[in-house]
Amino acid sequence: MVIIWRSALHHLVIKDLSAHYGTVQVLDSINLEIARGEVVGLMGPSGSGKSSILRVLTGLTPLSAGSVSLNGEVINYSSAESVRNMRERSAIVFQQYNLFQNMTALENVTIAPVKIRNRDPEEVEAEARALLSKVGLTDQISRYPDQLSGGQQQRVAIARALALKPEILLLDEITAALDPELVSDVLDTIRALASEGMTMIIVSHEMGFMREVSHRIAFMAQGNIIECGKAEQIFNSPREARTREFVSKILKH
Amino acid sequence: MLDYTFQYGQIWPYLPRLIDGAYLALEIAFLSFCGGLLIGTANASLLSFGPQWIAKPIQAFVVFFTNTPQLVQIYFLYFALPDAGILLSSYAAVLIGMTLNAGAYLTEIQRAGFSTRRQSEMEAAIVLGFSRWQQIRYVILPHIARVLFPPLSNHFIIMTLGTSMAAIFGVEELTGQALNINSITFRSLEIFSVVAALYIAITLLASLALGLLGSLLFRTKLRVI
Repeated sequence: MVIIWRSALHHLVIKDLSAHYGTVQVLDSINLEIARGEVVGLMGPSGSGKSSILRVLTGLTPLSAGSVSLNGEVINYSSAESVRNMRERSAIVFQQYNLFQNMTALENVTIAPVKIRNRDPEEVEAEARALLSKVGLTDQISRYPDQLSGGQQQRVAIARALALKPEILLLDEITAALDPELVSDVLDTIRALASEGMTMIIVSHEMGFMREVSHRIAFMAQGNIIECGKAEQIFNSPREARTREFVSKILKH
Repeated sequence: MLDYTFQYGQIWPYLPRLIDGAYLALEIAFLSFCGGLLIGTANASLLSFGPQWIAKPIQAFVVFFTNTPQLVQIYFLYFALPDAGILLSSYAAVLIGMTLNAGAYLTEIQRAGFSTRRQSEMEAAIVLGFSRWQQIRYVILPHIARVLFPPLSNHFIIMTLGTSMAAIFGVEELTGQALNINSITFRSLEIFSVVAALYIAITLLASLALGLLGSLLFRTKLRVI
């Protein structure tokens, strides 16, 4: 009964999570509980472990201790089936888009639903066209990634992630590689998703955007979550000295 | 001053034989390229994905065939193997020699192509739920094929020209036919200028065909000359 109650309350629970790259510890006992429909922003200096959390969640980087549970079920990262289950329910968008270069925008979006989920190609294509137009791409869907701008590629990557109908969307510095004038298009897309109730973890250096779209913000340093709270609290009255220092630096310019 | 009267008229009757020779040259190049491609693909796959111990023998094969002249390799097959009881026709010796030589070069070319796999695309495929086979089928192979198409095309052209070596063993490909006709007519200047033009024609034809294929299949830029 307890498990059902927790799953109703928490979509994703990260408990005492640690991870290492070789001998370097990148995550040190991370605890984070995320409710359904909640948008959590991760901020902090480079190398603080923000992206590593997303990589561990999707099974790209192995965890060395702790646990992750989705809808109350603990994910076993050494079981292929359990990892597949996690990957079916979550999607990640990368900083460098990571589109398949040999496929058009449309094919990038349709390949996984058609080939991995074995869904009807025509139905998937109709959905993909709708998704691409939702992210503001209608005329460019037959183009290859190298014929699209960075912002367009990133929006294709978002559409590709959404095509698998994820419950949780993980965004890894998705605007970091974009020209400033392209950033707003991508952020509009994310803003719309947040208002539709998508559970999201956002890693970003766009502080204004993080403040606006996140329900909560976790400040990270050296693989730890130093402080987690509502955006207003983190930005206006941080409790920890380390957070205060970071916030004062980023708000100065 | 060159005091010479060109007499192309004397060699025109032999033109069909030269064209037959050009056809045979393309055939030898095509067959040995295909054989070499099989060897190269197998070797490069083993080097990239196979067990560690297999690398040494493959590297030895590559080093041997890329560091000895092709001519010597075919000489060995044609003149030395009979001592061991293996008698090859000149056509077979040339074909096998060129296949093994191409196998070594195409191993190296493809190994380099395999190493251009992009980790970022692989990660995207992994999190979208692709199995290992699906990653190879939909991401790795199309990418490698696209990267490798231009250097493989170039090697095919080089091999087409390399078939002239077969003349030494009496194979009547383009150069072989030219030598025959030369010994009948002694019109060397005329014969070899026509032969040169025919070599240019077949390599241009092959380049154009490969270029079109590449632009259709892999969106590579069509560039013949």
